[in-house]
Amino acid sequence: MLEDKKDGWKAAIALAPAMIFLVVFMFFPLVNTTIMSFMEGFQFRANAGIFAISHRYQGIGFQEYINVLRDPIFLTALKNTMVMVVISVPISVILGLLVSVCLNNIKRLQNIFQTIFFLPYVTNTIALGMVFKVMFSTNNGLINLIVETFGGDKIAWLTDATTKGYWSALFVITCYTVWSGLAFKILVFLSGLQSIDKQYYEAARIDGASRARVFWKITVPLLSPMIAYITITSFIGAFKAYESVIAVFGRGSYIFGPAGDTNMWITVVGYVYKLLPSLMTPGNLSKASAGSVILLLIILAFTGIQLYVSKKRVHY
Amino acid sequence: MEVVLKSLSKHFTDRKGNVAKALNDLDVTIPSGKLIGLLGPSGCGKSTTLYLIAGLHKPTQGQIFFGDSDVTNVPPEKRGIGLVFQNYALYPHLTVRQNIMFPLENMKMPKDEAIKIAQEMADLVDIGKLMDRKPKELSGGQQQRVAIARALVKKPRVLLLDEPLSNLDARLRLQTREEIKKIQRETGITTIFVTHDQEEAMSISDEIILINAGVFQQMDHPQKVYDEPANLFVAKFLGNPAINIFHGQIKTGVLSVNGVELDKGFKGEDRNVVVGVRPEAFYLDNKGKIEINVEFVEHIGRDITVVGNVENQNDSKVRIIIPSDHYNDVFDKSRLGFTPKRMYIFEETGERIK
Repeated sequence: MLEDKKDGWKAAIALAPAMIFLVVFMFFPLVNTTIMSFMEGFQFRANAGIFAISHRYQGIGFQEYINVLRDPIFLTALKNTMVMVVISVPISVILGLLVSVCLNNIKRLQNIFQTIFFLPYVTNTIALGMVFKVMFSTNNGLINLIVETFGGDKIAWLTDATTKGYWSALFVITCYTVWSGLAFKILVFLSGLQSIDKQYYEAARIDGASRARVFWKITVPLLSPMIAYITITSFIGAFKAYESVIAVFGRGSYIFGPAGDTNMWITVVGYVYKLLPSLMTPGNLSKASAGSVILLLIILAFTGIQLYVSKKRVHY
Repeated sequence: MEVVLKSLSKHFTDRKGNVAKALNDLDVTIPSGKLIGLLGPSGCGKSTTLYLIAGLHKPTQGQIFFGDSDVTNVPPEKRGIGLVFQNYALYPHLTVRQNIMFPLENMKMPKDEAIKIAQEMADLVDIGKLMDRKPKELSGGQQQRVAIARALVKKPRVLLLDEPLSNLDARLRLQTREEIKKIQRETGITTIFVTHDQEEAMSISDEIILINAGVFQQMDHPQKVYDEPANLFVAKFLGNPAINIFHGQIKTGVLSVNGVELDKGFKGEDRNVVVGVRPEAFYLDNKGKIEINVEFVEHIGRDITVVGNVENQNDSKVRIIIPSDHYNDVFDKSRLGFTPKRMYIFEETGERIK
């Protein structure tokens, strides 16, 4: 018993730094935000401390949630986020898997290719966005140059406020999201692939399995824990999309589209960000909190479903 | 299916360009329908030989024939072989049935038929009742059987087993080696298995191939290899306890150890030779030719092992096996006689003289 108690203290001391940070920067804000979201017309008062409950508000209830859900900009943001999630997550997971399998199979220059694919991971997102903005610029961008070479007309990728511009911008955003997220997925998949015993492949080879069957019957099932992990974290990441839109349009942190429609590709996080108080606007903290809590609930629901499905589908 | 290896060599080259000769110029003919043991110490090239036959390694030189057809450049999946890996390599996410059916599905066999054949094969190796389990829910011996069933299910021409018993405990090992023999007899498939355990090889093989440091040593019936070792390596490698080694001289055709004349009629110049005598060839005899200083006696039950040393032969211990009845006749200094039939004489380079 004495031993156990001693070890318990050691463990507590070892965990303390991480726990303190988690409590201060995760759990406390989470609780505070949730409390704020129920306080209508919340405003900070000078010298009232950090606890939401000690500040000024007009009433308590679900009014801010109703306001958010009735806000057409929130609905646009929710729709945009969903579209981005549904399109970018499958593409990035499948592409990550394919690239990893290919990388794992080449022998020469594997390290060089690995480094190339890993570059976006260590590069600043805004810098990457600038590169994309230049590449997709209408008049002398690299992409339009290629389009014209193949006889097409110039496309206004990021400057068109019509429906056509909506989809062309989505294309750019998806490219950006998929590419910038690929590095981490490849890292996880490659380490997963390298931990699969080579003898399974030798056995399958002797058993006469085709390449496709080896991939579907051996690689995918044995990699399924990594695939589940990557899918879940990708979903969570995609729901929190914000900087990808800001980065490709490159017109400031409140502008989510071309000149004609600055909310064209607003996301839920972008919506919340816009509602925060700043030098220009007093903002609406209660509404922002309500928006955050709604996003949290959506992510929780999705993650719950995926954990349930993966428990049934992930092998061993 | 007869398997013929013609001057087969495999050299591995590492990044620095160092060449390791895993196998050198192996020439053997493995008869059809027999159980063959590839025996040798760790790292002698026996697993390399197996993988060359399987096609997972490409030979540096030489050819492999199955019957009359040259399969040297045929990929493993087209050779018609079944391979049981040392750690079985069962697919962990598939059930026993799915594991056994895997090769059949690759052949695009209709599902009903595949299920039926898989069941037959599972019954043959006595795991017919475990078809819906996952490999991790099976014991080592059961996993081994699944691996054998999976290798046999596509009716291979040659069955290859890599250290089939090394992952099993002692009791299961005895049982499984009998099973392997039984299955091989029932199916009549030419079977080659790799082992570093002489007892394993001796007990079930129809013929043994001995390899050392990538070089072929001897191939024969297990008893013949034991009784008539081709060289010093084979004599030393087979037998437990190992053969007793004495250093002797041939002078004017007479062989002597420590000045005691053992044999005569040898040709050639005077030289030093190595004399090997099997432990079971000795008996206690007051007029015997060898005197040993007894260090201790080990009891096995049926027999006793007497461990001692001989004057002027300090580099090797002498171990003899005698019936346990003679325990009271063993003294600190005992004289031993031996059956000449169990005495082997080798050149110092290892070749057998007699």
